[in-house]
Amino acid sequence: MSGIMYLARSSDPKVLEKAESGGAVTSLLRFLLETGKVDGVVTAKARNGNRYAGVPVLITEPEELIDSAGSLHCSIPNIPRFVKEYLDGAMKMKLAVVGKPCDIRALIELQKREQIDLDNLILIGLNCTGTISPTTAKQMFIDEFKVNPNEVIREDIDEGKLLVMLEDGTTKSLDLMKLEEKGYGRRENCRRCEINIPIFADLACGKWGTEDEEERATFIEACSDKGRLLVEEAIERGFITAERPDKKSIKKREEKDNAEKELAELWKERDFKPILDLDLSKRLEYWLNEFNKCIKCYGCRDACPICFCDHCLLEASRGFLEGGEIPPDTVFPLTRLAHVADSCVNCGQCQDACPMDLPLSKLFSLLNARLNEVFGYMPGIDVDQKQPLSAVIMEELQVEDTFLDISSINKALQSKSSKRD
Amino acid sequence: MKTEQVEKRGSAKTHEDIFEPKIIAFLCNWCSYAGADLAGTSRIQYSPIVHSVRVSCSSRVDPTYVIKALMMGADGVLIAGCHPGECHYKSGNLLTRRRFMMLKTLLETIGIEPDRLRLEWISASEANKFASVVDDFVKQIKKLGPNEMGEQ
Repeated sequence: MSGIMYLARSSDPKVLEKAESGGAVTSLLRFLLETGKVDGVVTAKARNGNRYAGVPVLITEPEELIDSAGSLHCSIPNIPRFVKEYLDGAMKMKLAVVGKPCDIRALIELQKREQIDLDNLILIGLNCTGTISPTTAKQMFIDEFKVNPNEVIREDIDEGKLLVMLEDGTTKSLDLMKLEEKGYGRRENCRRCEINIPIFADLACGKWGTEDEEERATFIEACSDKGRLLVEEAIERGFITAERPDKKSIKKREEKDNAEKELAELWKERDFKPILDLDLSKRLEYWLNEFNKCIKCYGCRDACPICFCDHCLLEASRGFLEGGEIPPDTVFPLTRLAHVADSCVNCGQCQDACPMDLPLSKLFSLLNARLNEVFGYMPGIDVDQKQPLSAVIMEELQVEDTFLDISSINKALQSKSSKRD
Repeated sequence: MKTEQVEKRGSAKTHEDIFEPKIIAFLCNWCSYAGADLAGTSRIQYSPIVHSVRVSCSSRVDPTYVIKALMMGADGVLIAGCHPGECHYKSGNLLTRRRFMMLKTLLETIGIEPDRLRLEWISASEANKFASVVDDFVKQIKKLGPNEMGEQ
């Protein structure tokens, strides 16, 4: 589905100055807050001005919005968990949430589990080509860019280059692929991520497609009626100005998206193939070695935006696992894998939280990719498509096989419905 | 029986004969358990090395139970439920089937032979099917050999 597209700019010069591109997102948020359409805005902000310590924040005063303008590539705030855990899943308040594609996908998965109320949320998705873990980023700036990390005021990933801008106005850029070969660069899960434009949010905003503009602008795609109305009203009230992008910029955006997708496929192949090439017993040995490092800190479970059980099976009080045993039984990581792998949105929060550096996101996204093939299910894209382990369709009653061929069931359904039309 | 012991006796037993697999069977209360019961009362012979666990529905089997059984050294796990369309709770067995599909993929991904897990539809009257499924599964597991997890 492609929605109505805009090239938008903020009408506020102060926002324009600080913004990543056209400042339209910050101004849209201001519009929402000032007109009382939302009770608050959830976005990320550099804590105490530290770019490497971005945290999710709830902003209720329009004046504070300016603090959140601009992108933070070297922080990994857990927006969906914040909304669910600390804002009561937006059950009682209206919120606008700004997030990367994986954040938005996690929110959509949480809606399927009735942990949040999506009706109360306006989802503003940002284009994303990846984020960098803060410690890696600092080390990389020192080792490779030869700059003081504290002097960096902006980063950008564009056309295979990582660009940093310093306080004194100078910029430096290095080839991202080369950095990543050396172990720097984006987080592992981001390298493998093929979802750059969040067209499942209400608005998908970003820089792609605005490169040829003389003045910086934000490319907005309104992907739902909610999103379209919001942009139209904000234009009417003078918070943003907007024009329609020409064919050239739409094409440019598509090209950039496709280039990133291709790169992601390469990374997937690179990360997954060595594991899949191992024979089964070697593969088991590999994973058991990794699992043996686990110190059972529950960090992965607590960071996972999809894990939501009030009384987790892994707690010692449930009697499923022995309490106080380190490393815990292999069942510990595998239980989480069995419970959430079908809905993993590849946000990488588990691996970021892990103090022992277990390759969790690799395990989860590998299984998720394989389950996608089995179930034909892509998590976090369509709120009406139920998660594969808890949704069954009546057609399955007619099938005796113990392993369903879901694609052929779906095909039969489609041809049936097209005949009816 | 340990391998050395057999060798000492000079017996010509093959690996498959020596290996007595441990098999856990989760049986649905409404069909497969009754089917197993019928197999018993009908004096149908089947392999005695299957440990049955009666569950109120095959979908009561959390995927982690299967994983836990295998991680604790079970050589095979059998889940048996009602035929599609005959579930006492209408769609429980359909959920089981989806979990089974997930588990098969999961086991393969982490390096455990997916054939160690089997799902079968066995109704209360299918005592013969129960016996033949168990025998066949035991044969299959014997061919696979012992679960590596059990040796650790």
